[in-house]
Amino acid sequence: MKQTLRNPWIYLIMVVPTLVLYCLFFIYPMVTSSFYAFTDWNGLSQYKFIGFDNFIAIFRDSDFIHAIGNNMLFIAFAVVVQVPLIIFFAILIANVRRLQRLYKTMVFIPSILSTSVIGILWGFVLHPNIGPVNKLLSLFGVDTIYWLADSAWALPAVLVVNAWQWMGFYIVLVLAAILALPKEMNEAAEIDGASGIQRAWYLTVPLIKPIISVVVMLSIAGAMRVVDIVLVMTQGGPVGATEVMASYLVNEAMGVNPNYGLGTSISLVIFAFALLLTAIYQGTFGRTKE
Amino acid sequence: MKKTLMTVVMLVLVLTTMLTACSGNNGSNGNNGNNGNSATEGTNSTSTPSPTPTAENTEQPAEPFSVSLRHIQIGEAQKFRKAILDDVVAMTEAEVPGLTFELEGVEDSVNRFTKLPAEMAAGNPPKIFDLFGGEGDALKYGAAGRLLDLTPIIEELGLSDKFLNLDQFILDGKVYGLPIGGNTEGFYYNEELFASLGLTEPKTWDELEHAAQTLTDNGYTAFAMGSKGAWVPLMLVNTLIGRYAGPDSIAGLASGDATWNSPEVVAAFEKYGDWVEKGYFTKGELGFEYADMLNEFVTGKAGMMFDGSWRSSVFSDEAQAGALTNKVGFFTMPAVDGGIGDQTFVNGNYSNGYGFSSDLTEQELVAIKAFIKNLYSDEMQLRGLLEDGILPSIKLSSDAMNQVEDKIVKKVITIMSESGGAFSHFDSTVPSSVYKESEDLILKLIAGRETPQSVGDKMQAVQDKASEE
Repeated sequence: MKQTLRNPWIYLIMVVPTLVLYCLFFIYPMVTSSFYAFTDWNGLSQYKFIGFDNFIAIFRDSDFIHAIGNNMLFIAFAVVVQVPLIIFFAILIANVRRLQRLYKTMVFIPSILSTSVIGILWGFVLHPNIGPVNKLLSLFGVDTIYWLADSAWALPAVLVVNAWQWMGFYIVLVLAAILALPKEMNEAAEIDGASGIQRAWYLTVPLIKPIISVVVMLSIAGAMRVVDIVLVMTQGGPVGATEVMASYLVNEAMGVNPNYGLGTSISLVIFAFALLLTAIYQGTFGRTKE
Repeated sequence: MKKTLMTVVMLVLVLTTMLTACSGNNGSNGNNGNNGNSATEGTNSTSTPSPTPTAENTEQPAEPFSVSLRHIQIGEAQKFRKAILDDVVAMTEAEVPGLTFELEGVEDSVNRFTKLPAEMAAGNPPKIFDLFGGEGDALKYGAAGRLLDLTPIIEELGLSDKFLNLDQFILDGKVYGLPIGGNTEGFYYNEELFASLGLTEPKTWDELEHAAQTLTDNGYTAFAMGSKGAWVPLMLVNTLIGRYAGPDSIAGLASGDATWNSPEVVAAFEKYGDWVEKGYFTKGELGFEYADMLNEFVTGKAGMMFDGSWRSSVFSDEAQAGALTNKVGFFTMPAVDGGIGDQTFVNGNYSNGYGFSSDLTEQELVAIKAFIKNLYSDEMQLRGLLEDGILPSIKLSSDAMNQVEDKIVKKVITIMSESGGAFSHFDSTVPSSVYKESEDLILKLIAGRETPQSVGDKMQAVQDKASEE
């Protein structure tokens, strides 16, 4: 066996199946479909090569620029609001002495629910006439808010629901990192008189920085490809208020006037954006010191 | 030796993986001679499969086969037409040995705008499917060779001269789809609410706007509207265009005889915008679905609703209409001041029906012929009219038509017979790119992000571009 493993060809043979499958189902479709980004293919008629027209059309469309802005808002919301809350709740749960597993399970439940379920569930919660949110607000004299029909409220509503869905997953991730830290340090700091907040800020957070970095990166990647919750809750509406790049792709590539050529070019733009942002993050804030 | 064995094992593994990955289940239809272009339908079968024949069986029972059938008759409001479809399916299965239909119910707009276009692009639509007529649907798919040419079939079945209107399904003299019924669009109104507010059925434009204002002033929604799907407000816009710019304008927009930014067409958008500003429509309409619109009307929160005559059966069904059962009236859009052309024209469509895949085996073709024969029979068309309020798409005798008792259906028939003619919906005459733009722009008009003139100008720009192509 030892002799066998010394043969470099064995390693190659072991890797080949994975590489073949990877090329067959990932590289090949990606490369071939990229070609369609430069055509006017609609799925039915004979397509023709139109150069960069699709890309020009995308960036000339104010709706797409608006969609990019919404993706940036998703990222900003994830990094500025979600991540601090994730850390806060993770530290909170890590320090409870009773029913810790119950809390862990409770925060994790939204992540295992299907997005369709969440969309429909929150559709009821936010319903202008019968939803509990408006019922509650009406007790304080607040007028009916059309959460998903009003351009001013639709995006915040979707951001909150999206955060509600995914925060639990990240909380459990950060919680695992916190629970893996040696308890002695915390105890020593406690003996030295450090308060809970000081211990969290000066000890726990710096020690879990690598996992926070991963959470931020995953949040950025997630915000770039967010689409399901948007489609289920608002379909990008009202009037594009919640449109993100991927929902713009779905609406342009399919639907009333299918244009797969344009859709492919949008997907390439999304891919480039996601790659760029992730690289920027990794090259700056995400870089961990050796 | 070990080395060689290891290498052979690994190679076998690699080859097995590759072969598994590359193989397809093309054999599922292999026995019936399918040319392999269609994928197996992953649908919910509603029928039990017939037993598989064996070689020993001397009676040679028919070889079992299935035909996929996509319909849009889902939900309570569609229960009557679903029952008719179920009966047609059962009759056809009984007639054609070995046949089992695989029914799949899909929501109307999901089928029309998401599933079917993708399946058409991939070349694997269901064998029978709900289809709309017009440029963006039947004619486009027909031109691409995806639809079965029904001309010889309806000729063989003696149906060629029976259909009232096949215009939206005919391309180059070939019929690519068959409408299941006809419809017109108009205003439903709550008779009790109108009476309580001292209102009568509006006969003139002033009376209509007076009714809308009175309803609004009394805290009711004048017109229930669910604009989450842009086609819903576009129904009203279409009839407004027909009134302001004349009945010929709808066809003229596609042919170039009329323009979207002409003062007459812009006047239609202006009227819609005016009603939005006056608060006549449902508050937050952009967040409500088509079904919500009906709910608002049925629960008495709205006095009127602009919808198709296909909704009429709801108001004679207590389970759906509740307290409003048989207390709903229907009227067509009154003439507008300064409107062009004959103002008695109505919006009339024979646009929704069934289409059939061009990729069929002999057996499937037999099944489809039987399906057409059973569905487009006098009996089923009359049932559609009496039970569901759907105007027949084939000529029925006057005796048959006189059997109608539903007051809304009676009114619809009267309106259509008294009208000077019918204009269609522009979604069936203009290219898909133009219709898509109209969906985007009507929502922006409602949201106050476009003016009627800018809507007209942008629509015309897209229309010009489409015409050039």
